[in-house]
Amino acid sequence: MAMRELVTGGAACAVPGSSSSSNPLGALANALIGSSSKTQERLQEVPTSTPVTSEPNFYAETDNHLGALPGSEFDQSLLPPNAQGSEFLRGFRSADQNGFTDAWDEIQHQSDGPPFDHFYDRAAAPQLQPTLDGPPQRVLSSFLHSFVESSRSGIPFHPAALPLLGLSEGDKKCIRDRSSIMARHFFADQSEDFINAQVNTLLSSLEIDSDARGKGPLPGRFRELEDYWNESQSMRNTGPHPADGWVAEYGQHRVAHGDPDAWAHSFEQQHGANGWASEFEREQVLLTSGDQMRGGNISNLAAMEQTRMLAQTLAQNHDPKFQNSRFLQFVSKMSRGELIIDDNQVKPATLPASGDWASEYQQQYNNGPAWADEFARNEASRESIEAKLSRGPEGWADEFAAAQEQQGSVDDQWVNEFSKLHVGDWAEEFGQQISEGAFDTSGDSWANAYDEFLNEQVVAKVRSDASRGVYVFSDMNPYVGHPNPLKEGQELFRKGLLSEAVLALEAEVLKNPENSEGWRLLGIAHAENDDDQQAIAAMMRAHEAEPTNLEVLLSLGVSHTNELEQAAALKYLYGWLRHHPKYGTIAPPELSDSLYYADVARLFVEAARLSPEDADVHIVLGVLYNLSRQYDKAIESFQTALKLKPQDYSLWNKLGATQANSVQSADAILAYQRALDLKPNYVRAWANMGISYANQGMYEESVRYYVRALAMNPKADNAWQYLRISLSSASRNDMLEACDSRNLDVLQKEFPL
Amino acid sequence: MPVFKTPFNGYSVKFSPFYESRLAVATAQNFGILGNGRVHVLDLSPAAPALTELVAFDTADGVYDLAWSESHDSLLIAAVADGSVKIYDTALPPTANPIRSLHEHTREVHSADYNPTRRDSFITSSWDDTVKLWTVDRPTSVRTFKEHAYCVYNATWNPRHSDVFCSASGDCTLRIWDVREMGSTMIIPAHEFEILACDWNKYDDCLIASASVDKSIKIWDVRNYRVPIAVLNGHGYAVRKVKFSPHRRNLLASCSYDMTVCLWDFMVEDALVGRYDHHTEFAVGVDMSVLVEGLLASTGWDELVYVWQQGMDPRAV
Repeated sequence: MAMRELVTGGAACAVPGSSSSSNPLGALANALIGSSSKTQERLQEVPTSTPVTSEPNFYAETDNHLGALPGSEFDQSLLPPNAQGSEFLRGFRSADQNGFTDAWDEIQHQSDGPPFDHFYDRAAAPQLQPTLDGPPQRVLSSFLHSFVESSRSGIPFHPAALPLLGLSEGDKKCIRDRSSIMARHFFADQSEDFINAQVNTLLSSLEIDSDARGKGPLPGRFRELEDYWNESQSMRNTGPHPADGWVAEYGQHRVAHGDPDAWAHSFEQQHGANGWASEFEREQVLLTSGDQMRGGNISNLAAMEQTRMLAQTLAQNHDPKFQNSRFLQFVSKMSRGELIIDDNQVKPATLPASGDWASEYQQQYNNGPAWADEFARNEASRESIEAKLSRGPEGWADEFAAAQEQQGSVDDQWVNEFSKLHVGDWAEEFGQQISEGAFDTSGDSWANAYDEFLNEQVVAKVRSDASRGVYVFSDMNPYVGHPNPLKEGQELFRKGLLSEAVLALEAEVLKNPENSEGWRLLGIAHAENDDDQQAIAAMMRAHEAEPTNLEVLLSLGVSHTNELEQAAALKYLYGWLRHHPKYGTIAPPELSDSLYYADVARLFVEAARLSPEDADVHIVLGVLYNLSRQYDKAIESFQTALKLKPQDYSLWNKLGATQANSVQSADAILAYQRALDLKPNYVRAWANMGISYANQGMYEESVRYYVRALAMNPKADNAWQYLRISLSSASRNDMLEACDSRNLDVLQKEFPL
Repeated sequence: MPVFKTPFNGYSVKFSPFYESRLAVATAQNFGILGNGRVHVLDLSPAAPALTELVAFDTADGVYDLAWSESHDSLLIAAVADGSVKIYDTALPPTANPIRSLHEHTREVHSADYNPTRRDSFITSSWDDTVKLWTVDRPTSVRTFKEHAYCVYNATWNPRHSDVFCSASGDCTLRIWDVREMGSTMIIPAHEFEILACDWNKYDDCLIASASVDKSIKIWDVRNYRVPIAVLNGHGYAVRKVKFSPHRRNLLASCSYDMTVCLWDFMVEDALVGRYDHHTEFAVGVDMSVLVEGLLASTGWDELVYVWQQGMDPRAV
């Protein structure tokens, strides 16, 4: 139940991107991808290049090269004789609907004219932003850099305290919009939640309101269907269309079909065959809200809540200093034209020179006819080749059949499918169907197909959840069949044999899946063993079995805090309050729909005021302050709780993690030491200890602690990652292989504690 | 092989279709997230293998892509992140440029492609979900193609049919368009994740390659688009650009956020025929010379532009 992630968060608070910082993330980035040092080495190899302003014979070669027009090779010979494709593409065109062909051809006529006469008059001098090169801008630069780099390790990006950058609203919008679109490319492997967390961290560090995001992600799973839906919509909206007729017709038709059973056909009429996607989506929304307590849906909800909550928090954070920023004033003066950058590149007032270049230009382009001729010739020869190739409509059908054989996949339906894309055809067909009243049967089969699809989607969704929120059992569990695995598990847990305890408790919950105590203990064992994913999965099951268990709610809140999932964390912490016999009354139930950090924090402050002797309330407050990164307050809360509960080793660990976050790594080590004195096999505290040493630049020391933690639980994947970073930071590359092959014997021998 | 250091992060590199030694590079400050941009026109001197800058143009926002005109050897189209499309005459000094700035896209313009067969027009694709058709001599676009439901990252002309182009979008579809038609002619739900790039085969005009955030490249035949002809796996992160060879039917090049440039032969089983890991940051731009067989260029967020002959080490001096 410690705050591993929070610990690393504190580490990043130094100077992001600077390789000399004691920041393990920076070190990781360096180790993994070799940023700064590698680049510098490379740079020395770069031959010096001197910019050449104008080359005397810049134009001289033009004529020769015009002979070899690129693309001309595509006009003729290079297309192999069996390129049936051209015929196929030719078949693309059905009927000229809106005179686009004319418009298109007209372009060519127009461009035959003298277009370039007035062409240059419009020259607009580039309005440059001031070069972002002052010290704060360099900070921004390296901050963005560390954001981009964080994609490579898949490690959460951590907030940093940045100097005031004075970004304009436009700048902020750029950063917001672009980083959220780009993040979806960098972090493709990660969950939507993770991506949001990364981007939100970036934005909140730059004091950018994340709410007005210009371009969020598409709703995940049904994007493809949504396209079809959008398409059917836009088709209807753009101009005269054969579909318009039947839309009206449908309007009349629907009046007649008031009963809900007819939804299938009326829907099909409304949106076209593809439009049911939207209906499906609606259905899906219902499903989602129905079982929101289960597995993966939580993460979606969490993402929504998180965005909303962050928006609110950040909205209150409008820095008045920003308005006085000299940079902002500078930019706004620039935009009003009060300032002009006097640089040889940027002279906005300069009109484009006229005399010389005009004649030059004429000369240069006077040979236009030459290439036009050539083009015509090419065109002609191409035509003749095509004439030879084409064997009438049945010709390309044969060719297609041949091609299909070649592909090995027989799909006779494509022609029909394809023609459906031409709306005219199927609109007609549709009209016929209406008149024949053929809907009852076709509607049914369609509905069946829809059901099938729905099932498939549900199955697919469950499968995708498996990676997250679903508990993964160990195979080969010796405790299966044990007469009382719960008791055995409790005993092992008490002895601190966490990995063994996990197995026994797994046996218990396999035997009694509804035993919330079994699941809860399993979750705690995983958390102490430094495996938050499994801990959350187990706690979720405990929560399902017993939704009001306070310890479970608190654990879930902490685990989600560790995983940077603020909304989910808030939800459980609020649930803790709601179900607490003492404080249930101060938590208004209507709040639970939309949780904002500020409201929840206020309630807990209130609770702490009501009963200052309740250590648990102080613990939750400490966790909440960690969420809002008010580490000083968090430390205070944990210290208060420790006065009431000095023997709680997990509490000492929390205190240590928070101290590490607020860059008090030395204090943190003392706190972890207390936790380990109370519970020597506390894997997470060992790992956290290592992190704190690493944060202080004592990499060799940190390695010893990681190795110790791993010796106790070799499955702690995070610890392996940290170990690798520390090894390379300590220049112990000789041990990297042992680390990669997870050879603990070698590591323990090399790094005894 | 020659290297050129750009002050900003590289975004795109294109060989001139007229001069075998000339290429243009699009760059953006701060990875294109915020700041200025610059277009460099570089020359590859054959004597000493070095890239020298002929001219550079500054922009007030990052430049995401470039296209050389196919009709005039000095014209260059730039796709700018502020939503503008700028036309540069590389023969003129920076003060006289851009010769035209077209403001219609409402979001970042992410790609530009000049029509290689009619040579009178070009298309741009943008994060505003549209593709626009332009000519150099008109102040406004000729047409806007709006069907995609999310950012259109790339749009490329068919090398043989002057009216047909393909667009790749974050809505996970490829669309094939005929400018004589009102709507798209074909929709290929090509990937489960966003599609960042597409290109047509230069020898078989029915083949398209699509590159996606799902790390794969897929080759599609528009005559039978239910299943891809080939799926090329090997990149470790999102594939950012894909480009068919102008000289060999089955060869294509790609670059990726995994910092490598890869060469593929999509007809053989072990499709990956070359991998270059010379970049130390995301590799986001790659091009193959039309005029010199096997000449490759790449650029990336490590602010370096490399030009090298296929089979050689880009870093070898």
